[in-house]
Formats: sequence, C-alpha cells, structure tokens
Amino acid sequence: MDWLTSLFPWITNGPLILVQVMSGLSVAMFLFLVSLGMSLIFGVIRIVNLAHGSFYMVGAYLMVTLVELLPERAWAFWLALVVAPAGVALLGGVIEMALLRRIYHREPLMQLILTFGLILVIGTLVLVVWGTDNKSVSRPDVLAGSVALLGHPFPAYYLLVLALAPVLGLGLWLVFYRTRWGMLIRAATVDREMLGALGVNVSALYTQVFVFGSWLAGFGGALAAPTVAVALGMDADVLITAFVVVVIGGLGSFAGSFVAALLVGLLQSFGILIFPAVSIVLLFAIMAVVLIVRPWGLLGRPEDAH
Amino acid sequence: MAATRLGVLSRLLVLILALALVIGPHAAWAQGKPIRIGEINSYSGVATVYTFPYREGLAMALKEINDAGGVLGRPIEIIHRDDKLKPDEAVKAARELVLQDKVDFLAGCITSAVGLAISAYAKDAKVLYFATHCQTSRLTWDDGHPYVAHTTNNVNQYVRVAARKAAALPVKKWAHISPDYEYGHNMWEEFSTYLKKLKPDVQFVQQNWPKLGEPDHSSYVTAILQSGADGLFSSLWGAQEIAFVKQARPFGLFDKVKFVAPAVGNPDELDPLGKEAPVGAITTGFAWYDAGLQKLHPKLLDWTKRYTEWAKAKGLKDPQPKLGASWGYASAYIIAEAIKRAKSTDTDKVIAVLSEGFDMDFPWGKVQMRGCDQQAIPPQWASVVKLDAQGKPFIGDVEEIHGRDVVRSCDEVKELRAAAAAKQKK
Amino acid sequence: MLVGLAVLPLVAPAFFVVLGIEIAIVALFATAFNLLMGYGGMVSFGHAAYFALGAYTAALLAKKAGVAMLLALAAAPVVAGLGALLFGVFIVRLTATYFAMLSLACGQIVYTIIFKWTGLTGGDNGLLNVWPPVLFKSPVAYYYFTLAVVGASLLLLHAIVTSPFGYALRAVRENPRRARFVGVDVRRHQLLAFTLSGVFSGLAGGLFAFFNGSVFPDFARFDKSFEPLVVALLGGMHSFFGPLAGAVGFKLLETFIARQWPVYWPLVLGSVLIAVIVLLPQGFVGLVEGRGWRTRPARPK
Repeated sequence: MDWLTSLFPWITNGPLILVQVMSGLSVAMFLFLVSLGMSLIFGVIRIVNLAHGSFYMVGAYLMVTLVELLPERAWAFWLALVVAPAGVALLGGVIEMALLRRIYHREPLMQLILTFGLILVIGTLVLVVWGTDNKSVSRPDVLAGSVALLGHPFPAYYLLVLALAPVLGLGLWLVFYRTRWGMLIRAATVDREMLGALGVNVSALYTQVFVFGSWLAGFGGALAAPTVAVALGMDADVLITAFVVVVIGGLGSFAGSFVAALLVGLLQSFGILIFPAVSIVLLFAIMAVVLIVRPWGLLGRPEDAH
Repeated sequence: MAATRLGVLSRLLVLILALALVIGPHAAWAQGKPIRIGEINSYSGVATVYTFPYREGLAMALKEINDAGGVLGRPIEIIHRDDKLKPDEAVKAARELVLQDKVDFLAGCITSAVGLAISAYAKDAKVLYFATHCQTSRLTWDDGHPYVAHTTNNVNQYVRVAARKAAALPVKKWAHISPDYEYGHNMWEEFSTYLKKLKPDVQFVQQNWPKLGEPDHSSYVTAILQSGADGLFSSLWGAQEIAFVKQARPFGLFDKVKFVAPAVGNPDELDPLGKEAPVGAITTGFAWYDAGLQKLHPKLLDWTKRYTEWAKAKGLKDPQPKLGASWGYASAYIIAEAIKRAKSTDTDKVIAVLSEGFDMDFPWGKVQMRGCDQQAIPPQWASVVKLDAQGKPFIGDVEEIHGRDVVRSCDEVKELRAAAAAKQKK
Repeated sequence: MLVGLAVLPLVAPAFFVVLGIEIAIVALFATAFNLLMGYGGMVSFGHAAYFALGAYTAALLAKKAGVAMLLALAAAPVVAGLGALLFGVFIVRLTATYFAMLSLACGQIVYTIIFKWTGLTGGDNGLLNVWPPVLFKSPVAYYYFTLAVVGASLLLLHAIVTSPFGYALRAVRENPRRARFVGVDVRRHQLLAFTLSGVFSGLAGGLFAFFNGSVFPDFARFDKSFEPLVVALLGGMHSFFGPLAGAVGFKLLETFIARQWPVYWPLVLGSVLIAVIVLLPQGFVGLVEGRGWRTRPARPK
C-alpha cells in the first residue's frame, strides 16, 4: 500500500476524496442536463440536433439579459430561470415549423446539415445582438455561498444542480412511460406511418418534442450561466461535450445519458489526479472504445438494418 | 569657373531639398501613393472580444498619423483580413495580400499559431511582418529572423513580472492551471523557471492541464485543494478563466491559496466577474484609470478620453480602453516610425532600422524596440485585484516594472536561437 | 474549358491563380468525399482526418526526412488510405446516423493525436516551411502541377464510379438487401469505397500541404469535415461534377463575402445551406440542369 500512498497522497484522505467525488458528480449532472434534450430529440425525431449547443448558448444569453432587466430582487433569478428557457423553446418551435418539418421525409443527412447551418446563423445573430464582450450572471444570494461537507466547503449552487438533474431525468422518464403523451411519442419512434394512420397528429407531436428538447437545452444554458462566462464559443464547447455523452450513453436513451454523464464526470474527476493532461484525450478515448465495442452506445438500441 | 558653377548648382539643390523637407510633411503632400499594410487578425467569432478594441486602437492611431501628413508624405492605408482563428487561413490571406493587393508590409495575429505561420511565410517571401497582437516569445526568439518584428510585449515579459511578485509572497508550494496548448505550456515554463531562479526553495506540487475551452473546472479545483499548494498560478484567459474563478470561489480556493493570474486584471474578465472577482489576486493588467499611473504618465488620461470617444463613435458596445486597444495604437506608431527612420518603404531599409532599434514615447511610457531581436519592450504593470465601495472590481497598488528590467538579454536570445537551430538540424 | 484553365495564369492576376489551386484541391477533396456520400450513400463526418493524414504525411516526410516533394506526395494517399481502411473496418459496420457518429469520433481521435503529439507534429503550431522545390515554387508552376494531379485523379474517380464496382456501390446505396441477394458483398464494397475516398482525400491533403507551405491540427478538426460536405451539397451530390461546381461556387463566395464582411460570413453560409436544403435538393447543378426547385420524392427505403 505504501507505493500507492506515495504515488497518490490523496488516497488516504477520506473527506477530500468525498469532495472530489462530489465535484465529479456535479460535473456529471451538468453533462446530463446538457445532453438530455439532444437525446430526447434524437430518440423521437431521429435528428442529431447539432444546433443544441446554440440553443444552450441562447438560453444563457437570455438569462443574462433578463437578470439585467428585472429588478434586483431575490425572485428575479428564479423568474429568469423560467422565462429564458421558454424563450429558447419558442425559438425551437419556430425553427421546427418553418424549416425542419419540411425535410423529415429526406435523408437523415439533410437534417444534420440543416442544423449545422443553424449553428452558423445563430452564432452570428448572438454576436450581433449581444456583442462580443464576455457576460455573466450572479448566483442568487441563497446559493452564492458554500456548505460544509465534512469540514470542506462545497458550493451551495451545485447542490441545486445535483438535486435538479436527477429529478428532471426521473420526471421525463415518468412522462414517457406513465402518460398517454409519452406513449404516443414512444409509438412515433417505432412506426410513424402507423401512428398517423391511427389518426394521431404526428406532425404536432414532433413539434412538441422539438420544443421540449429546445427547452431542455435552454434550461441547461440558463442554469449553467451563473457558473461560467456567457461568451461566444460556448455553443461549440457544449455541443461537443453533449454529443459525446449522448453517443456514449446510446442515442435516444435517457438512462444511457445518465450513466454516460456519470462515467465521464467521475473518470475526468479522478483521471486528472493521475494524469493532469488527460482532459483533452479523455472524452474521445472513452467514446471510441464504447463505439467500437458497442456501436449503439452503452444503453442504446442497435439500429434497424435497412 | 567650373567650381563656382558647381557651387551654385549644389546650393540650388540644397535649397530645393530644404523646401521639400519643409513642405514635405504637410497634409497637402500626403496625397502620394499610400503605404499599404496588410493586417491579418481574427475578426469573426470568439476572438472579436479582443480584436475589435485592438482594431479601433490601430484605426485611431492611423487617423492621427495620416491627419498629420502621413509618413514620407504618404498616407498609410490598412487592409484587414479575417483569419477565422486558423493559421492556414492566415497564410492564405498573407499570400493574397502580397500577391494581389501588393502590400508593403504584413501585420496582425492573435494566436501564436497564426503569428508563427505568417512569420514563416514572411521569411520565405521576404516581406517584413509586424506581429502586433499575439504574445508568443518564439516569434522573435527561438524562431526569430530579420523579416519579423514584434510590436507588443511577449509572454516572457509579463510572466516574469508576475513571477517577481510571486517570489515576494510567503508561498513555497505552487500549483498551476493552464490550458493544454502551446501558450499554456509556454506560460508555465516561463513562470516556473524564473520563479525557481528568483527563489530556489519553491516547490511545484501539482499541475492542471484542462483543455482549452473546458466549461467545468470543479474537479480541478478540488484537485488543487488536495495538493496542499499555497500558491496557484493561472495562465487561463478570457471566458475560461471567468468560469474557473466563478467555480473555484465557493470551494474556498481563494481563501486557501495566493492566486497569481496575469490575465484576470483585464476588463474583459473583471467586469463580468463583478463582485465575484478574486480579491487579492496578483495580476498584470493595464490600469489606465489608476491615479498613480496617470500621475506617472501625464498624457495617459487624455489618451484614455480620446480613445473612449473614438470607440463610442465607432459603436463599440464597451468603449473603455483595453490592453488590446493600446497594442493596436502602439503598433501603428511603431510601424510608422520604422518607415520614417528608414526614409523608405524598402523592406531591407526598414529592417536595417529595426535591427538598430529605437525608443518611442507613448501615453503609458517608453517603449523600446530592441534591435537584436526586433522585439518591443514596453513598461509592465503588476497590480492587485480589489473591490470598490460599490462592489465593482478594479486593479490597484499598481507597480510599474519596465520590461527591460526583466526580459531575457540579447545574449540569452542568441542562445535560444542557436538551440532552436540545432534542434532543427537534428 | 480546358483551354480556359490552361491560359488562366497568362491572363488573370496572380491572386486568381492561387485561388484556382485552392479550388482544385477542394474539388478533389469534395469529389473523393462524394464517392461515399453521393454514390455510396454513406455520410462521413470525420473526413478531415484523412485529409490531415495526407497533409501531415507529406509534410513530415518532406521536412523531417528530407524526402523529395513528389515522393512525399505519393506517400500521402497511401498513409491516408491505410488510416481510412483501419477506421473503416469499424465504421462501415454501422449505418446512417451511427456511421456518421463513429466517423466523427475517429476524426476527433486523429485530431487529438496530432494536437497532443507536439514532438512529432508541432502541436497547435503545426509544421511550417513545407514549400515545394524551386521548380514548383511559383504559384503558376504549382497551379499547373495541381491541375494535372487533380485532373488525373478526377479521371480515375470517374473511371471508378462508372466501373462495375461503381454500379454495385450505387446498388448498395439504393437497396443493400437486394444488393446482397444478387451476390454483392455489401460490407466489402463499402469498405473499399471508404478506403478509396480516404486515398483521394489524403492526396488532396498532401497537395494542400505544399500549397499552403504548412500544416496544422485544424486540418483534422470536425469543422473541416463539413467543408467537403457543404461543397458537395451546394454543387449537387447526385452528379459527378457537382462537387467540382460546388468548390468553384463555395470558394468564390467565401473569398468575396468573408473578406468584405467577415462577421457575417457564417450567417451567409448558414443561410445558403439551409436554403439549398429546403429549396434546392439537387444543389446548384440540379438547378442548371433544369431539375428545378421541387423536392424530389423521398429515396425508397
């Protein structure tokens, strides 16, 4: 054991390991939140929404604007946290109805490229509307400080994230497996034509799902805004991370995204203790291994062969 | 007879020359063919937060120069090109500017990769290139050559100033966090070696290399806390450093370690951080609003006002002066001065002037263009992050340390170049 | 047209010669890519990896081993092809979205290796001073050289798509199951197409290395992978010369808009892409050929 403690002096320090685990978990929960909407949209509409990171960025920028506009009261933050994602959901709805809806019958490639085009358009519009300067939102006073965790300070705001993400995930699961709407959506993923023939308005269903997925992206951005700089370029960083998590977990699987987020968050958290420069390699190394062993992801379904 | 005629002729010649000299520099004569500078920088996307103020600083200086009659009686004209943050785009733009637009000189760069790529092209094409915005020391040192001049400070200078302040702290165990690319490695290398030299008993206990643009640093924060370090050096910058500071604060990191972060004092980071700024951190920003600095440099206040008006008129959302604006401004004047001293836009003649070196006065102090490496050596400032009564962050306790008191000497640069050449051969 | 291309350097300013070289290289890259997308129905999101493998192979050989340009350039497609073969084995097992995802992941792996392996590749600073020998150094000389190489490659690619292999590939695209029934080994055809596409992408990368005089990790990044895709799409992916037309249109548009309004270039490109997808499924070549603005019926599944 001596070699172990000499190599990793932290290994015997229980409380610190706990803090490391907790920070890894909060990284994981952010990853989960960010990837959830992408996973949902793929699961139902079979589109990998590359503009997901852009929706996230718009959510964060709207949060900045709302917090600036609203009076400096305790409730302002929470109101903004509700309204900002709603704005993104609206944007998602408009895009779905004006553009995406027209090309569902085409090759999946076309939808991918369309969402890639959206990245470029939204990125420029954000620059024009909000300017080039970095922006930021303060945490609400209640959550601005830290709580003691076995004598070590831990950010109170992360407790909110640690609680919200699993609740949201569970809520989604309940909606999907315990409500009629959820049942219809699951049916739509299996056989769209059949569902249409049964008199269900599939087109409206798709719009609802896309709006909801956009809302999730916007919510992730709004919730993350107080912990990061709201700046140009955050769309690409988030897109890549969300994309990797969704692919590792299995496209369209919520549970998969959850497991993948935990895996990436914790591996990153402890990986850097051993190899400080592992971060840049880690995401894609895990992704490559998973894709080679289980191409459809940890908990995804194999694609039907054409 | 012949002698007197010659005398009359030569006197006539002198008269004409004198007339030309008197009239020459006036605006009316500035109608000559413009001197063209092709400037390549990142004017779309992420880096615009830095390049827009820089471009306005440059534009303001050029307006002043041209209003005063230009250089050699010719106005200076600048053609901007966007490099999309990609060095291959920059090379392409450089080539186009030289081949098609027939520019006399190249200028620009924000990332070190772009600067080094344009520099390599300039050397090959025998065009003089003024690196104006990127900061890698390799430009004029390891990979230096006559066709590149660097008009702003390099990493070595401001990191050494930071290291000097760090050495004065009662801190022995250092950790660092740097983005995992050339700039981050360069920063840490310079900081750690100089600190060790100044204070041989320091220990480097832990390293953090997040990738560039990493959104969440919580795991790094807890790793630093575990390492037992009592000092932390950061070469993060911009949005990434803001995120790091905001995430690290509630972990109590800044109560446990002394924080040294060269970039954190710039307004693009301090303003968004607001009351969450790391109070007490040692930084190297440009404190144009500091009363002490304005007293030291009486012309600074006036420049600040002029720039702010200029930037407002140009529609910049945040018109306050930035480090980048001062760099753009200085670069324009340094290029103009080199041409003026060479009395020609001929590349070899301008290089000859640069390789001799010259000093220039700016509203923020004396800038030395050093001859041996064609590297600018401006004044540097160490300062401390503070909060004012309204909870707005600023940098105070400004201490001016001139770059020439810390920068590597010409002999050391020679060694670096020799080492780089040997490596190249191997 | 051939005459036009041949006399271009004599009449047009140097700038157009340089632009011409670039268009030719992009056209080769996009046509190689379209062998997969247009003919094989496989969309790779990581094709920049093979372009970069070619570019780095050429640059490393020329710079570190002192190999002559022509030899270094010949090695580029070989290494890129081997890379494509290696990754392709895993990638072609998948279809549609999963195919795209794994190809993107493989591309990012190549990018990460190039970025991290500073000792060999120079990391983010890349490898500089990879210029052609004196004979090909001038833009005009390199223009003719590139034109010859790209022209020969396009002829080869055209021969490939009109060969029995090319028709079998189209059969695989239209209906893999039926193709299997008539005795076509689907996987092997796809793998061969993937490898060939990698070979020509690598050649484009090698040409670009000597054209640009330098290579950078950006060449392998995912946004570079979108370049051939966008070009092929704009030009029209169902026509052999679509990518060529797309390369001309894309580069001209980029050169003139990105220079005047750099901030708005992504907006323009994004809008054009969206408009083409929604309104012009055949690309611009389709428009010229009079196949019109209508959406053609969905590909049979």
